[in-house]
Amino acid sequence: MNILKNLPEMDLMRSEKMTFVQLIIPVESAHRAVSYLGELGLLQFRDLNDDKSPFQRTFVNQVKRCAEMSRKLRFFKEQIHKAGLLSSALPTLQPDVDLEALEVKLAEHEHELIEMNANSEKLQQTYNELLEFKMVLQKAGGFLVSGNSYETPEGRELDENVYPSDYPESASLLEQATQSGPSNLSGLRFISGIIPKTKILLFERMLFRATRGNLLFNQAPADDLIMDAVSSEMVEKVIFIVFFSGEQAKTKILKICEAFGANCYPVPEDLTKQSQITQEVLSRLSDLETTLDVGIRHRNAALHSIGFHLTIWMNMVKREKAVFDTLNMLNFDVTKKCLVGEGWCPIFAKTQIQEALQRATIDSNSQVGIIFHVMDAVESPPTYFRTNTFTNAYQEIVDAYGVAKYQEANPAIYTVITFPFLFAVMFGDWGHGICLLLGALILIAHERKLGSQKLGSFMEMLFGGRYVLLLMSLFSIYCGLIYNEFFSVPFHIFGASAYRCRDASCSEAQTVGLIKYRDAYPFGVDPSWRGSRSELPFLNSLKMKMSILFGVAQMNLGIMLSYFNSIFFNNSLDIRYQFVPQMIFLNSLFGYLSLLIIIKWCTGSQADLYHVMIYMFLSPFDDLGDNELFWGQRPLQIVLLMSALVAVPWMLFPKPFILRKLHTERFQGRAYGILRNSEIDTDSEPGSARHHEEEFNFSEVFVHQMIHSIEFVLGSVSNTASYLRLWALSLAHSELSTVFYEKVLLLAWGYENFLIRMVGLAVFAFATAFILLMMETLSAFLHALRLHWVEFQNKFYGGDGYKFEPFSFTAIADDED
Amino acid sequence: MGFLLTTLIFVAIGIIASLCTRICFDKGPSANLFHLTLVITATVCCWLMWAIVYLAQMNPLIVPILSEVE
Repeated sequence: MNILKNLPEMDLMRSEKMTFVQLIIPVESAHRAVSYLGELGLLQFRDLNDDKSPFQRTFVNQVKRCAEMSRKLRFFKEQIHKAGLLSSALPTLQPDVDLEALEVKLAEHEHELIEMNANSEKLQQTYNELLEFKMVLQKAGGFLVSGNSYETPEGRELDENVYPSDYPESASLLEQATQSGPSNLSGLRFISGIIPKTKILLFERMLFRATRGNLLFNQAPADDLIMDAVSSEMVEKVIFIVFFSGEQAKTKILKICEAFGANCYPVPEDLTKQSQITQEVLSRLSDLETTLDVGIRHRNAALHSIGFHLTIWMNMVKREKAVFDTLNMLNFDVTKKCLVGEGWCPIFAKTQIQEALQRATIDSNSQVGIIFHVMDAVESPPTYFRTNTFTNAYQEIVDAYGVAKYQEANPAIYTVITFPFLFAVMFGDWGHGICLLLGALILIAHERKLGSQKLGSFMEMLFGGRYVLLLMSLFSIYCGLIYNEFFSVPFHIFGASAYRCRDASCSEAQTVGLIKYRDAYPFGVDPSWRGSRSELPFLNSLKMKMSILFGVAQMNLGIMLSYFNSIFFNNSLDIRYQFVPQMIFLNSLFGYLSLLIIIKWCTGSQADLYHVMIYMFLSPFDDLGDNELFWGQRPLQIVLLMSALVAVPWMLFPKPFILRKLHTERFQGRAYGILRNSEIDTDSEPGSARHHEEEFNFSEVFVHQMIHSIEFVLGSVSNTASYLRLWALSLAHSELSTVFYEKVLLLAWGYENFLIRMVGLAVFAFATAFILLMMETLSAFLHALRLHWVEFQNKFYGGDGYKFEPFSFTAIADDED
Repeated sequence: MGFLLTTLIFVAIGIIASLCTRICFDKGPSANLFHLTLVITATVCCWLMWAIVYLAQMNPLIVPILSEVE
């Protein structure tokens, strides 16, 4: 006992000691103090302004400004992304830019960018219109020209729709149109334009109805795709020309054009004028192109220069916003000259925090120092474990079930080893283990590179668990050597088998079997078992008994941890009335079963253990007969049965009554003050021991104790049986492995054909990789996890604490990503 | 090899592993205790696994019966 007391505190065993502190900061050094504390990352602020809405808080304006700046920065990022530029960060650290100057600069940049964007949009629009005009000129010019006697190539493309009208022929119609000038008011006139292809039919029909058939409609598809202004994607357009007469028809047609979104362009009838205008349009188009180009290059240059500083600016703005959010959690004191803050910090960090606060005072040229002192807190402190990259994954596995209560025993110290070990018991194959090891080593070798990248969610989980994977693979190799399975093939690594034929001719090998002529195989399962007919009965018996033994061992470990918890919290009530009866109950039944298993193995007796255990309950006083494994078994069984039966009321009844007695005693002597560290059940809600001092609800405590005892008693049977999943999964893995080896690889290899062999090898490789390496790994991982979370942890773990979340800039940077 | 002999070999391996860990990763008494816990847990688990399989084969109740040779 003395040795145990003199040992130093183990690293991850219990969470760090925390203390509740109060800070009184003068206003001028507040911002700086909070920034330095953020860099340190070891103080969790409590929100003193919980009941206020975000708009009632002190620094709401600054928060709004920061939000506005980050909006601008996001806009820049989007623009850079749209322009397709890669954001390259300037590697050197810039000196701290003042926040106000940054705000002004950002506003400038945004204004500039928006202007540039608007300009280029206008230019683009003009460009599109000119492009459409050019096409209309080309095609519509063709319509008008084809009225003449000579055929033009465009003429052949024409799709003439002639509607019954007052004029006799279409050809003469066109001739009349070309002959009569466009200024002939009562004569034939035309409108030319361009419309998206999808609308052309409807457009035509509408025009026909509107003009009562008095029109000539020609269309031709455009050569290129044109950017549609509305949907800003490239669409096919069709050029049309409508011949009509009359003023009313003109207004109707124009209105219909507008409704359908067709753009009308005037085409001169005169051929020379047409070519003149076409030249003009072409030259203007090329001008615009160059202008657009220049504009885009200018904008890209601006974006590039912004892109250099973008990450730094974003980080700065994030930090400032975080600082102001934290400042919002503090209260102004009575004099309005100081901010008061409260929070939790680990005791080892006190000096560091005081140092940071001193630096802040000096740097902000404040006359008054920052006051930092310890206070008492009502609620229970947060839980903080200082993990490194290796233990972090395991702590997260434990925390996923529930964060440890303040300073209770942390299951992670054992989980580091037992979790990969139980995984390996279910996965045992040293060939597959080597594959997992290669995977884990690759992940660890590329740690630095993969750590800085952003990975997909699956890869991120895999990368986060690389050290777990490493241990899992190492233990799998070990268990594979013990089970003697290399992709289900046994080897004679540790010497010759212990079995051989009964006689030289091996005639009875298939009927009665081999005999054991030497000591047991020195390491692992004898290779003679693989492929034999009695392999499964032997291995099943071995693995089931192994599962029971591991289960009882791990559950005993759990109960021992509850003992250490009781010693730490000075809870002798728990030791006497919970730990002792629990140990007695579990071990007199299942510990005894484990003992029987070991004795049966050592002596080679033929006793039936099922029979022994069942009749220990049903008829304990009967003679054991053939099932007697050792002398004195019957009286021992009776004693164990009695002690188990006594243990049940022992864990159920005394504790609530004693608690009630203690409670009444305590509050009879109330005048003398409340004792600390008295024997009060600390399993109850944190803080309830103080708040509900007056109430002691006996029925509640009794029911709670009853539930706890029933859970333990029934749980001991069900949890022990639950460990049989170790057998089940290991059997499944072995059988799958055998099937793939024998029925795929060996079958394919039996053929002499090279192609069939290759195909067989490929199928074997894929099946092994996906089913055995991925699916089985996940399955065994999950079951090992369940065994830890439920069967191991419910013997001692409270798991109702809350995690320590300090105000830290690194945490914010990680958060955003 | 015998049960006891191999058990002693496991104990020896455990002690050597603890010493190696103490030499290579000496990071203060609380961390050392944690590393020692890990090494002892691993040694005990591995020994337990080996011992169970060894004991099960010491006095077997059934023998391998070879299946039909093709």
